[in-house]
Amino acid sequence: MPADRPATLAAWLRTRSDAQLAALLAARPDVARPAPSDVVALASRLAVPVSVDRALDELDAATLQVLDVVLLAPTDGVPAEDVHAALPGLPDDVVDAAVGRLTTRALLWGEDVLHAPDPVRRAVRHPAGLGRRAAELRVTLPADLPAAVGALDPGEREVLERLAGDRPVGHLPETGGPGASPARRLLQAGLLARIDALNVELPREIGLHLRGDRPYGPPRLRPEPAAVERDPAVVDRQAAGAALEVVGRVGELLAVLEEEPAGLLRSGGVAVRDRKRLAKALTVSETDAGWLLELAHAAGLLDVGGPHRDEWLPTRGYDLWREQPLPDRWAALAAGWLESTRLPSLVGSRDVAGKAVNALSPDLVRHTAPAIRRSALAALLDSPPGRGLAPDDLVALLRWRTPRRADRLAPVPDMLAEAGRIGVLVGGVLSGGGRGLLTRGEEGAADGMQGLLPEPVDHVLAQPDLTLVAPGPLVAGLADTLAVVADVESSGGATVFRVSESSVRRALDAGWSATDLHDLFTRSSRTPVPQALDYLVDDVARQHGRLRVGAIECYVRSDDHGLLSQVLGDRRTAAAELRRLAPGVLVSGLGADEVLTVLRQAGYAPAGESPGGAVLTRPPARPRAAGRRLGAPPSMAGRPLTDAEAEATVREIRAGDAALAARPAAPVRQVPGVTTAGTLEVLSRAIREGIPVWLGYVDAQGSGSQRVVQPVSLAGGFLQGWDERRQESRTFAVHRITSVAPADEEAPAAGNG
Amino acid sequence: MNDGPLIVQSDKTLLLEVDHPAARECRAAIAPFAELERSPEHVHTYRVTPLALWNARAAGHDAEQVVDALVRYSRYPVPHALLVDVADTMDRFGRLTLVNHPVHGLTLATTDRAVLEEVIRSKRVAPMLGARIDPDTVVVHPSERGRLKQALLKVGWPAEDLAGYVDGQAHPIELDQEDWHLRDYQQEAVEGFWAGGSGVVVLPCGAGKTLVGAAAMAQAKATTLILVTNTVSGRQWKRELIARTSLTEEEIGEYSGERKEIRPVTIATYQVMTTRRKGEYRHLDLFDAQDWGLIVYDEVHLLPAPIFRLTADLQSRRRLGLTATLVREDGREDDVFSLIGPKRYDAPWKDIESQGYIAPAECIEVRVGLDDEERMTYAVAEPEERYRIAATATSKLPVIRRVLERHPDEPSLVIGAYLDQLEELGRALDAPVIQGSTTNKERERLFQAFRVGEIRTLVVSKVANFSIDLPEAAVAVQVSGTFGSRQEEAQRLGRVLRPKADGRQAHFYTVVSRDTLDAEYAAHRQRFLAEQGYAYTIVDAADLAGPGEVNGPDWVDEPAD
Repeated sequence: MPADRPATLAAWLRTRSDAQLAALLAARPDVARPAPSDVVALASRLAVPVSVDRALDELDAATLQVLDVVLLAPTDGVPAEDVHAALPGLPDDVVDAAVGRLTTRALLWGEDVLHAPDPVRRAVRHPAGLGRRAAELRVTLPADLPAAVGALDPGEREVLERLAGDRPVGHLPETGGPGASPARRLLQAGLLARIDALNVELPREIGLHLRGDRPYGPPRLRPEPAAVERDPAVVDRQAAGAALEVVGRVGELLAVLEEEPAGLLRSGGVAVRDRKRLAKALTVSETDAGWLLELAHAAGLLDVGGPHRDEWLPTRGYDLWREQPLPDRWAALAAGWLESTRLPSLVGSRDVAGKAVNALSPDLVRHTAPAIRRSALAALLDSPPGRGLAPDDLVALLRWRTPRRADRLAPVPDMLAEAGRIGVLVGGVLSGGGRGLLTRGEEGAADGMQGLLPEPVDHVLAQPDLTLVAPGPLVAGLADTLAVVADVESSGGATVFRVSESSVRRALDAGWSATDLHDLFTRSSRTPVPQALDYLVDDVARQHGRLRVGAIECYVRSDDHGLLSQVLGDRRTAAAELRRLAPGVLVSGLGADEVLTVLRQAGYAPAGESPGGAVLTRPPARPRAAGRRLGAPPSMAGRPLTDAEAEATVREIRAGDAALAARPAAPVRQVPGVTTAGTLEVLSRAIREGIPVWLGYVDAQGSGSQRVVQPVSLAGGFLQGWDERRQESRTFAVHRITSVAPADEEAPAAGNG
Repeated sequence: MNDGPLIVQSDKTLLLEVDHPAARECRAAIAPFAELERSPEHVHTYRVTPLALWNARAAGHDAEQVVDALVRYSRYPVPHALLVDVADTMDRFGRLTLVNHPVHGLTLATTDRAVLEEVIRSKRVAPMLGARIDPDTVVVHPSERGRLKQALLKVGWPAEDLAGYVDGQAHPIELDQEDWHLRDYQQEAVEGFWAGGSGVVVLPCGAGKTLVGAAAMAQAKATTLILVTNTVSGRQWKRELIARTSLTEEEIGEYSGERKEIRPVTIATYQVMTTRRKGEYRHLDLFDAQDWGLIVYDEVHLLPAPIFRLTADLQSRRRLGLTATLVREDGREDDVFSLIGPKRYDAPWKDIESQGYIAPAECIEVRVGLDDEERMTYAVAEPEERYRIAATATSKLPVIRRVLERHPDEPSLVIGAYLDQLEELGRALDAPVIQGSTTNKERERLFQAFRVGEIRTLVVSKVANFSIDLPEAAVAVQVSGTFGSRQEEAQRLGRVLRPKADGRQAHFYTVVSRDTLDAEYAAHRQRFLAEQGYAYTIVDAADLAGPGEVNGPDWVDEPAD
């Protein structure tokens, strides 16, 4: 260690060994590309806010708590032993390891005395969950803080206690009644600071006072939840049960879609109507139908197709998939699910606009999903087979590992439930297939499930009550055939088919003959074919096709069969394209007029006939085109304007006026997408002084607007403020602001009309 | 993978492969919590319903046993979700209990306050509850016991009824087993019933349900009220009771349209119980006329709705329901379960047949082609007339005659639904007709004559569907029926299932008109028998071989004479 301590981060970096610098680059790879030219460049690269955030995001709660100690110290530079003293609840080795992790990543620097670089200070908004100092919040605290806090009523105290916990910022509740809420009373007493229209912050001093002798909060030790212990063999069997179920269900779903595809909505996805239909066909809940659709899609078995690309159809992959052995089929589903960028659990939930999200809708895509899924399951991979964690415990552990990414963990419980339904997870324990999937992908998954799933059967048991029981998963060919010939009554480990009159008729319609059906039953049934089944087939076959339907244009009839034979044999009438349908009746595909003409020219004396059988004596009508049917004329009257619409229009007009009136001669303009210092300067001043600004803004749809806004806060590239025109609090992306200028104070306030 | 006999389906049906070596053992393991739904030849279907699971809990089985049975016998892995669901469902039982409080009488108590709060707030349940004694206990009026249980079942929190039964007025009854013995399954049925307190015993027709009733009475040793479908059936009960128990003629009363006797054992008909005059049930007092220790409901699947309502008031008395089939055409099986009690015993018909206790039966459907005139009449008939026209076609007559000729020495029944047709058959076959208007006296005379063999063929309307006992009927020919009633089919088959003295086979014929509604309804009814394991043989009328001919009846045993 050099006796003279380095004075800056760059200087300290220079003192680091090559291995240490390599470790730094390995831990923060984003600073290494492109390679920094020198240590100063490296130090400035390390100061980039995005890079700092990323590095902090990957730290666990204990490490972040150690960092908090340094950040909260009154002066920069904290001796390492003071850190130990500040966190009596954390074992020394944990603290040392944390310090090591932080210095490795250059989030702290210094050897004996630890310093925090400024970018890190800025990136940690609320160190140890404490707010900013009262001075920064421009709040004057009561002189005797303990006394003031002691004098609060329980409601007020509860608000303070809550804000002294993990998050010093809270929402101000809507004021309902005449009495001021505790939070508002605290604001008046100067114990809370208002940071914008909706949020308040607890000054650091009060937080520290309330926390007493634990200024950094409870020690963030790694949670050590009780492991779930289960017999691996039992876990695997239950996982196989789930696997069998899910493979069967997806197969059924696709078979239904093959028969009648689901339409593609204009917004993407499957309509609720189709989901209901599928749920009914599969006798599952609509939620389950949505899940199966998503799963089939994730595994590449279902996609948009059809002649107009407007239908959800099984893919070519499905044809291969269904021929595969069961473990492979399962592995394809599980792997598809693991890597899917979609969150199936959100199907049916409401989006921001209150609209239900459809299955397979593009709204469900979350690009972080595969990483979250994998990391959640990988946490279980550390424990030996047969051991795992209850879902709540797992989430708590993940939360501890990456507390700054806790918001990303919201879908984890649903993901774990899905893993359970697929058979990757059983009651918090990874199955053999699940382990294989995580370590060796699809192939590993299939290996893990090997021997657990039944071999497909190629026969059924025919019963006298006209059911066919397939005592296991069927080979694809027979399954296809039976789907035509019989209806599925119950599915699962086995399939129960029922042969009914309508199913036999369906088979006959599909081109089967009665003999084919008898053969099929004899061939595929391991039990003797019951007589009732044979009779059913024969009965339906006997009735089938007894009525025939065809299309003709006109007929020629006569009681004189000899005459009809003569007409039919006459070469001159060949042009009439007559054929005999029954004794006494000839038919033709040509119109009645043409046939009449041909017959007359051939020297016969035909007469036209009305539908009732009366002879039509009038000459055949002159040819006419079938005209367009006249309907009611389209209504010209427009839809009447509702009161609400009128009101909104007036308000917009008035707000536009106000904006124009407030428009100064030379607003600060900026090229869209480029934030100039000028813009930011005007906005910050407006916030500080609390004056409204005139704002030119381009919204996400690309339409421009001008409005008067009372800015409240400016942070992270977003301006929050009160839109006078819309009469609502809004957030504006700074890069979409095209121009900004302070609004004229005398300009009329936004219209209320 | 184990090679069990059971396959668990996603819809919670269980398929049991009958020919599997472990099938018997498996059946015993799943019977407590799964309802037998179908028992055709090869694969039996059971269904696991919440009700069945709760009944299993009530009978002392826990979720672990159920899950274990499923996992142990299942051929394929059982989905974890299904097992969890089973455990959750069973866990709902017993959170609420009906108990007798020493001070407040009948109360609903809970071990889970949240559940009690939930049911108290339920619109369906709230009106039946009284004052709250403490946070975990609510008073229940004793007369609401049945209705409350029904309502709790519907809201998914079934109550365990620990309030017990009144013993009733003691009356000595013994089984008189000198020249006969209770069969094993009858004994098991009585034990199952007695252990459960109340409930339904399902046995095929002819399997001796009356004796199960008698044995239950001997177990209760208390005054008993027996509810039967009609007077003839009531007399039959009386005869059996006198013959098989220590009861004497004087101890058994008949409470019917003709007589109103109330004795220690009283047999009443459903009809008299539901007779109303000026809008009031006139004979309800019978339920309170004695301190009954046991109430037996014969043919519980026919229990009329008013009796259901009355039964709700009788929850403190032991109740035994007897039936051949729990299929109710009105779909009120659940009410039977919640008011009379859960199913305590059932057995596949074929099992009992294989033990020799009911006669093996051959079911034959004979198809008759209508002649052209009949076909035309049928084709142009109004839809509501069609079935009658098809079922009563005169083309059936020669076929019926030929069927009877196949069994010249067997006592035979011809069963139909249309009186005109029956009259015509009676004339043509020279056989007496028993129908609704036949007096009880005349009926008994004819039955007696039939029993001793003076009359070989009887033509009966559907009044004889139930509870007449014709021990030696070996051939039944049904010519028309009540549309597709499965329950009627079961009863009619039951007419011939009573074991024959010489172990002969019974024959059950259905004569139907080909390609008509008649055939369609027949198919619907037969599905029920097929589900009970009775395979139908279909024969064309023209192919119906006479006795002694190839494929004719008994041609192996008795060569042509």
